[in-house]
Amino acid sequence: MKISFVINNKKVSLDVEPSMRLLDVIRNELHLTGTKEGCGEGECGACTVLINEEPVNSCLYPAINAANKNIMTIEGFRETNEYRVIADAFADRGGSQCGFCTPGMILVTYSLLKKNPHPSEEEIRFALSGNLCRCTGYQAIVDAVKVAAVKGIKL
Amino acid sequence: MIQHFVPTTLKEALKILDERDCYIMAGGTDLMVQKHRGSGLLPNFDKDVLYVMNIKELDYIKTDAEGNLRIGAMNRYCELMNSSLVPDIFKTVFKEIASPNIRNMATLVGNIANASPAGDSLLPLNLFNARVVLSSVKGNREVLVEDFIQGVRKIDRQKNELITEVIIPNCDLNFYYRKVGSRKAESITKVSLMGGYKIEGGKIKDLRIVFGSISVKVVRNHFIEEKYQGKSVNELRARIDDIINEYDHEIKPITDQRSTMEYRKKVAKNLLRDFLKHVK
Amino acid sequence: MKMKKFDTSVKKVDNEEKMSGRAIFTGDIQMDDAYFAIQVRSEKAHAKLKGIYVPKLPKDYYFISAKDIVKENVVNIIASDWPVFADKKVNYIGEAIGLIVGPDKGMCMYLASLVKGEYEELEPVFEMKNSYVHKEFTKGDVSKFKSAKKVFSEEFTTGYQEQVYLEPQAMLMYIQNDQIVVKASMQCPFYIHKAIMRTLGCKEKDVRVIQPAVGGAFGGKEHYPSLMAAQLATAIVKIKKPIKMFFDRKEDITYTTKRHPSKTEISAYVDAKNNIIGVKIHVGIDGGAYVGCSMVVLSRALIAATNTYTFENVSVSGDAYCTNKVPSAAFRGFGSPQSIFAFELFINHLADYLKVDRMELRMKYLVKQGDITSTSGLFRDPIILKELVDKAMEMSDYKHKVKLYSKEKSYRGIGLSMFLHGCGFTGSGESDLIKAQLRIKKDKNDIVTFYTSQVDFGQGNRTTLKRIVVDTLGIPEDHVIYDAPDTNETLSTGPTAASRTIIIVGGLAAKAAQHLKSIWKDGEEQEIVEPYVGPAYIKWDEATMQGDAYPGYAWGVNIVEVSVDPVTYEVNVEGCWSTYDVGHAIDERIIMGQADGGLAQALGWAYLEKEVAENGMFKQRTMSDYAIPTSMDLPVLETEVLDNPFKYGAFGAKGAGELTFVGGAPAFALALEQAIGKKVHDIPATPEYIMELMNHEN
Repeated sequence: MKISFVINNKKVSLDVEPSMRLLDVIRNELHLTGTKEGCGEGECGACTVLINEEPVNSCLYPAINAANKNIMTIEGFRETNEYRVIADAFADRGGSQCGFCTPGMILVTYSLLKKNPHPSEEEIRFALSGNLCRCTGYQAIVDAVKVAAVKGIKL
Repeated sequence: MIQHFVPTTLKEALKILDERDCYIMAGGTDLMVQKHRGSGLLPNFDKDVLYVMNIKELDYIKTDAEGNLRIGAMNRYCELMNSSLVPDIFKTVFKEIASPNIRNMATLVGNIANASPAGDSLLPLNLFNARVVLSSVKGNREVLVEDFIQGVRKIDRQKNELITEVIIPNCDLNFYYRKVGSRKAESITKVSLMGGYKIEGGKIKDLRIVFGSISVKVVRNHFIEEKYQGKSVNELRARIDDIINEYDHEIKPITDQRSTMEYRKKVAKNLLRDFLKHVK
Repeated sequence: MKMKKFDTSVKKVDNEEKMSGRAIFTGDIQMDDAYFAIQVRSEKAHAKLKGIYVPKLPKDYYFISAKDIVKENVVNIIASDWPVFADKKVNYIGEAIGLIVGPDKGMCMYLASLVKGEYEELEPVFEMKNSYVHKEFTKGDVSKFKSAKKVFSEEFTTGYQEQVYLEPQAMLMYIQNDQIVVKASMQCPFYIHKAIMRTLGCKEKDVRVIQPAVGGAFGGKEHYPSLMAAQLATAIVKIKKPIKMFFDRKEDITYTTKRHPSKTEISAYVDAKNNIIGVKIHVGIDGGAYVGCSMVVLSRALIAATNTYTFENVSVSGDAYCTNKVPSAAFRGFGSPQSIFAFELFINHLADYLKVDRMELRMKYLVKQGDITSTSGLFRDPIILKELVDKAMEMSDYKHKVKLYSKEKSYRGIGLSMFLHGCGFTGSGESDLIKAQLRIKKDKNDIVTFYTSQVDFGQGNRTTLKRIVVDTLGIPEDHVIYDAPDTNETLSTGPTAASRTIIIVGGLAAKAAQHLKSIWKDGEEQEIVEPYVGPAYIKWDEATMQGDAYPGYAWGVNIVEVSVDPVTYEVNVEGCWSTYDVGHAIDERIIMGQADGGLAQALGWAYLEKEVAENGMFKQRTMSDYAIPTSMDLPVLETEVLDNPFKYGAFGAKGAGELTFVGGAPAFALALEQAIGKKVHDIPATPEYIMELMNHEN
């Protein structure tokens, strides 16, 4: 089935099965490997992408549900000014260790700060709660979100 | 070869369902897990699939003339959490379902259709006497959510029917809700309880109690609830132990990889006691 | 907002590639013609394997099994008892009896499901009763135990723990320039290298291992990749096609190695004046079907068994037990978290039994510089444990809280643990077994390149090791090149394990750089291979377990505060305060990352992460059923490091990787005890267990 969407500001039309996991479309068809697979069952959030600016787990997302939507992966987001602010904050606080959860964490951070530019500690932890990290104990990531919020992501 | 159908109108969808037996895919957060085969592989569907997320006419959150809240089959938790029409107690429940990412995908109707004994939204739906609307080419019928769910993944749906809407009657009660899971987010419920009550002139005008994850479906016992209508708050409090005993035969949990029968049973009773102590 | 300042930190070298998604992990490598390999696994826990039914395979599909072994059917892990493919016998559910290899993954999975082992079942053993490794040692005169007026004994257990590195096991293998090339998610490139050489009987130059980005490891990628490599190598010599084996999460949780469950029995022998004459400890660990590295895990558990306390007379023994389950192997801490958990709780319980103040008793026996270790070695270096305790107490307001929460039904508690971790391989392992050699060279433009076999799977060692060389040479950062290991270029500086990276390899890197500096000639090509030479004082006898077990020790204190909901028995971790002596912290931000991450994992092990096997099969096989902490399960983690430079470490540094895991569980358990007024003996302390404790008398 022909499915069209915008990904990283580019219009794409693909012939794929409607049930194909969006994650497989992104990684195997479009070769955008910044989106990771950690569990394949919607638990870890390593496969997080933004769809119409909302974070979703692309491992459970049927490709057809993305039709005519706007998808942003880390490859698109890293070209933005907002990425720079968030990435610098992650670097400053040590928010990335093994790096496997990091693209997802960064996209979730963006989506949070866009809706809520000055989140509380609790709101940050709530927003990150679908993205698991086994390296940092979350402390450095939560701190990074705070740093990014202070700098303001200039939306 | 299985076929995939992506209707854009309800009429089209119902016609397809009238002709063939389909899996119905909304947000995918349950079905895509259940049919998952592995990274890079298509999900393992053994019959046709009908996708509902493109049927725009099923996308709404509104109140009707009688004050009922009506939610379309396409509407996701994240939308419900942001809607001023949705009662707070529902939002409290939704906040503890899965994760933010999942709530951006999963629909309320999907949670009903999945009919898991651990389905958290089923507690307030049951307590509010919510109904689902089932549509087919023959027309619509309404069923109480309580009756619609018959057991573990068993629902009162004919092959040609689609759940198109949830109707939630207005319900002005004081609420109590506790979900007990394995951790604070992304947790599947081990045991849960929602209570609702209304007191007028020191007497119980309304009392409702719903348990999750302690039986093959969400448990509600109207007989016990009605027994205490009209009783005074003091009498209710004096009879907390009796009430817990009355629910004993309803609490039939299992031991599985997430918890034990003993724990679920004990905590279900503790929660009931805690709720009843809250009634004032 | 409370923020740490990282005065001593530099920008991590891999920050940008990881945050931007540019880092290439094994699964990101594009190799479209690679075949897929799927393990065909035993469905029996213990059985004779009388034959294997293999369906007729389509063209380009292969079944690879023990029959295809080129030289030796053994995975080169310390004990060398784990076969590459089960032959004639299976010893655990999930053991590979073969591989299906072919171009389509779905087809491979289908074919694998048709392959059937023909089994004759044998009686499986799941309990810890058949010892396959026994170790024991004593200190002082244990015959004095007999003079005791009181004997206090207890037993403690700890459960399995799954590493849950975010990137599951992944390996890609292909042939290039007559070499077998491996790219994998790994900890130890030379372990893989040796494993392939051994099973194929080939030469060093026939194998090349290159490390891509690695998404977490924590011990879980120390040995298991050697098994995968040996299997794929057997396949590739036959098929001569690139092959990849990527585990889905469920396979990874169900069939790869985990932390050893343990059972520790401790007795204290006490005289009439409440002096401890000595202690007797037995640690049992569940090693699973094959020994693998269990004897070394057991060693570490035993050496650490009296934790941070000195007793005159000590009897320590332990066994690793053979069970028909997935082999247990490395996980951050490597045995010592299990025995230290037991001893930290025990000494507190002992104080209660003797009716003396808990902290007083602990302080009375607290280890000091110059004390003799339980293996009759010497604590040579300054010990600042008391300062660590005082600082942590001050940070957490411990003294006030411990009084406040002692009143009944507060359902709140605070617990303090002290702990140590020996850095580097046990005893003379570094000099005798590992024999690290570090290669450093300089080109005509005075650009320096150095090589280690250390893998950065998140710890930050790529940054710190580079910094050691840059600072030692005193040249600009961009004049030093330090890439991920490639065995064609790198000499082995040993595995990335045992908290040895900074203390051993860092020290070696500093020495090599110093050496280069001393012979530096501008504009000339120069190259040095610097061998590791251990401190002369290290004398260790593995057979008797006597002598100095480690070149140095790192120290820590954790304080954990919890509340318990008496309705649901759920625990909330309210606060965590930690102090560490890691020698001198070269890069504070990296140390903080280890501190936070280690403690988070330890808390997971202490109360959330439950993994149990039923008839040899794990019950929790997904990330929803095996619950690691989310961002909402953890509080703000506050940490301070106190400076205590280590003579033999690079810039005074000791190891920090494992230390930060060791104290979380006992601190948690002590806090829980106070909150519920009951004694804890087992972890994970799930709500189910807490309910039992609260509803029963001790």
